[in-house]
Amino acid sequence: METLLGIKGPDFVMLAADTTHARSIVVMKDDQNKIHKVSNNLLISTIGESGDTEQFTEFISKNIALYKMRNGYDLSPHAAAHFTRKNLAEYLRSRTPYQVFMFVAGYDPNDGPELTFIDYLASAKSVNYAGHGYGAIFASSIYDRYWHPKITQDEAYDVLKKCVVEIQKRLVINLPNFNVSVVDKDGVKNLDPITAKSLAAEPAA
Amino acid sequence: MALAEICKISNAPYMRRTAWDLSDVEEDLKAHTSNLANPYTLAAPPFENPMHNLNLIQANADKTGIKIDFDHGTTTLGFKYKGGVILAVDSRATGGQYIGSQTMKKIVEINQFLLGTLAGGAADCVYWDRVLSKECRLHELRNKERISVAAASKIMANIAHEYKGMGLSMGMMLAGYDKRGPGLYYVDSEGSRTPGNLFSVGSGSLFAYGVLDSGYHWDLEDDVAQELGRRAIYHATFRDAYSGGIIRVYHMTPTGWIKISETDCMELHYKYEEQKAQAAAAAQ
Amino acid sequence: MSILAYNGGCVVAMRGKDCVAIATDHRFGVQAQTISTDFKKVFHIAPRMFLGLTGLQTDILTVRDRLMFRKNLYETRENREMAPKPFSAMLSSFLYEHRFGPYFIEPVVAGLDPHTLKPFICNMDLIGCPNEPVDFVVAGTCAEQLYGMCETLWRPDLEPDQLFEVIAQSMMNAFDRDAMSGWGATVYIIEKDKITERSLKTRMD
Repeated sequence: METLLGIKGPDFVMLAADTTHARSIVVMKDDQNKIHKVSNNLLISTIGESGDTEQFTEFISKNIALYKMRNGYDLSPHAAAHFTRKNLAEYLRSRTPYQVFMFVAGYDPNDGPELTFIDYLASAKSVNYAGHGYGAIFASSIYDRYWHPKITQDEAYDVLKKCVVEIQKRLVINLPNFNVSVVDKDGVKNLDPITAKSLAAEPAA
Repeated sequence: MALAEICKISNAPYMRRTAWDLSDVEEDLKAHTSNLANPYTLAAPPFENPMHNLNLIQANADKTGIKIDFDHGTTTLGFKYKGGVILAVDSRATGGQYIGSQTMKKIVEINQFLLGTLAGGAADCVYWDRVLSKECRLHELRNKERISVAAASKIMANIAHEYKGMGLSMGMMLAGYDKRGPGLYYVDSEGSRTPGNLFSVGSGSLFAYGVLDSGYHWDLEDDVAQELGRRAIYHATFRDAYSGGIIRVYHMTPTGWIKISETDCMELHYKYEEQKAQAAAAAQ
Repeated sequence: MSILAYNGGCVVAMRGKDCVAIATDHRFGVQAQTISTDFKKVFHIAPRMFLGLTGLQTDILTVRDRLMFRKNLYETRENREMAPKPFSAMLSSFLYEHRFGPYFIEPVVAGLDPHTLKPFICNMDLIGCPNEPVDFVVAGTCAEQLYGMCETLWRPDLEPDQLFEVIAQSMMNAFDRDAMSGWGATVYIIEKDKITERSLKTRMD
């Protein structure tokens, strides 16, 4: 299964997502981006049932864009997370529930960074760090060990690297590449992907 | 008796007086205490083809309400490094979501040079570890030398394989020190047995691996290695609902095992939290 | 595993002398994995009233939001504060409204009547069968353990500080025997002129 990772720092949120698109026993694609830029201060990363991910993320992001057109200002990350959860919860009790797991990550000039964990049941929780998918189980203890409240972007990137190394070492499923994006006061930025290749090039820690 | 003769049944087998001689008594005794003399004989379940039917009972548990539900859930780990073998375990035993015990001993001291960890069915592990320690002692008496870790783990794997498919649930590590140096084997109820440098077993093992892998290398100092084991278990108890209680750390050295520490998870949590706060303050 | 135990957690409320107390644990998990340890299941909904919700986290959020909406609507229409008793009645009929597709939660209400200042506690099952005992109410994955502790420790007419001690000990000792609850706890003591919130130092395993 696919993996999403997310870390919140004092003034940024960093997301990582694997880039594997698998169907049955076949890897269809190894450069699928799962971190979507919704606005200048908002990222949504999504995994889950293929088709649902695309549809639901697009539905949410277009509605958030519509909100901005109507009102002339962006939805805050907190409000965006609430909107996402509410929709997912309503679909959950319909005949066509979406099977998606996501992170809503954003930076608000007033409230600072916000990272919200949302699973397919529409459980939602604002967190400092979390993950989705099997890979996240290995990552969670690494977060607990290395995250601290004053973590910098470089440190967060290193923690994500540790997580990816662990996932590639222990998870049966092959997830060679991870895209990394960060959102802070300057907006959204894509960082260098963490790949098996880039990790191999580094001197062993 | 006359009636029996008239009916011509006096010689029928069921009319024969039972003469209780010594062999009968012995036979009887054996039937009731066989497990004392030979721990490998277990009572067969009262139905045919147990291998198949036991699994049916478990599979239909939700419908019938009949389920064999025993203590489960654990985090254990073991790794070899230059200074020997470290074993670290938690101490929680759960039956479903109920915490049955917070002080379970999950490291079995088989002898001075052999330790076993238990994960999975608590009763399965405890029973077969006791059988194993008997076998190891017998080996020592018969051969005038201690059993190797490889041989001990092979005995365990043989037992597990003998009962494969009957519902035993074990995932254990055997750690020891013998002529070949430090030894660490993983044996489970599927019958697999494999040597290795680093293992973690149980419901919390995935969490333990995260910390363990990111801190492990061969040339660790003793105190660092012990702390790494303790810390990996601590992080697993924090994340895994079915692990917790006391963290026990054992160190297998060339001169036998040493119990390093037994620390309450709560104490460790607040200690690590304090350390993190101090480190963050120092970084300012 | 029951769907009510999917995310774990517990709540207990007790009556004292002219005061009530309500306590919650902090765990938000997905089955055995703990995701977050700062999820309080008790919400401050009126000056002297708290609502505790245990069960499926997504439904905790949904029910909390929908009830707040209905309570606010009541207060704007009636132009007066909602008392615990009518609030519980509203909650009960809200839950029964979903009789054939229920929200998987078990609610607990604790508060003082805004006019008479009489203590009030109440709990319900997931389809709104109300229960208003004189002593204490419990909900969550360690309800059995909580009943045991409360039956032993609770006495009539406890003063606020005694009540705090009783509810804190009941809570901690109950969830220390439950794998799905714990990871911190908060107690709220509601008196006529003040509300005290206290965090408990608990086991974190």
